[in-house]
Amino acid sequence: MTSYATSMVSYKKTTLNSKPMSEVNSAQNSAKSPQTNTQSNVAAPSEKAQKSKLTPAQRALEFEQLAIPLMPQVYGMALRWTKNPSDAEDLVQDTFAKAFNAWDQFEQGTNLKAWIFRILTNTQINSYNKKAKDQAKVSIDQFEDWQLGEASSLTSMSSRSAELEALDRLPADIIKKSLSELGEFQQVVELAVIAEMPYATIAEELQIPVGTVMSRLHRGKKKLREKLLEYAIQEGYVTAPKPAAKSSKDSETGSL
Amino acid sequence: MTFDCQETKRHVHEFLHNELSAQEVAEVTAHLANCDSCETDYDLENFVNHSIQDACSEVPPQELAEKVLENIRKMQAGIDHA
Repeated sequence: MTSYATSMVSYKKTTLNSKPMSEVNSAQNSAKSPQTNTQSNVAAPSEKAQKSKLTPAQRALEFEQLAIPLMPQVYGMALRWTKNPSDAEDLVQDTFAKAFNAWDQFEQGTNLKAWIFRILTNTQINSYNKKAKDQAKVSIDQFEDWQLGEASSLTSMSSRSAELEALDRLPADIIKKSLSELGEFQQVVELAVIAEMPYATIAEELQIPVGTVMSRLHRGKKKLREKLLEYAIQEGYVTAPKPAAKSSKDSETGSL
Repeated sequence: MTFDCQETKRHVHEFLHNELSAQEVAEVTAHLANCDSCETDYDLENFVNHSIQDACSEVPPQELAEKVLENIRKMQAGIDHA
């Protein structure tokens, strides 16, 4: 189990096309600096080299074109985390201000979404809700049923196609509600799926091992699918799947 | 070695989140090409991910977007005059 998780980390060195962690770190550090003196808080000269060719106006334009379009996703996350529109707006403002300050450190062509969400996460954890971090550390993930490969093999082909159909009809509110009911899995699912952060970054942000990120994502997604299907049946978006009726090619025997 | 269904299903999230090695991606892809059951699983998880992404975006209030832009322009002006 442990070796599975640790070997994952080493794979990443060769496969991930994202930027080296050190660069993300420098952005993060800058993102962490006090927000009161934002104006003097531009990147250190050595770090600026890369984008120093840009005039300040070009720099602002580039930021507006690339980063600002992510606002709906950032605002959505901020709303779910703060559960309060006014706090969410403050969080979004701080996040974009910090991102703009650190913009020289963002390397074009790398994962901008993950970079912005990392600043959002830091801002949220540091300034607004210390509890989030503590909560994330409290529960210890116990044994790893997903690693036995049983997770989705339990559902037959026919019920999975019913699930797909149900999902397609579910309104956004039910998906958001289900997500908010995932407990300690919620944050990892959000950071992986919405923010598209690499596992290693999520691990660092939440101060948990990469193996825990993996298990929380697996278990969180499984729980989410169960909830979504439950709501879909409950709300009448789909009828409860019947046990394998037609085209039973794979449904009962499966390939396991 | 070739991935069986169990191994393939176990790797679904790592596959969708680009956390697998090239070798593992090749194993998974080869398996999916010949296994409807696993392919349905991968499609489903991928679909769930997109549903989450779509559901979780919120149009920010107009004044928030304006405040953020105004803020950036102010910071910008600060840099201009530095």
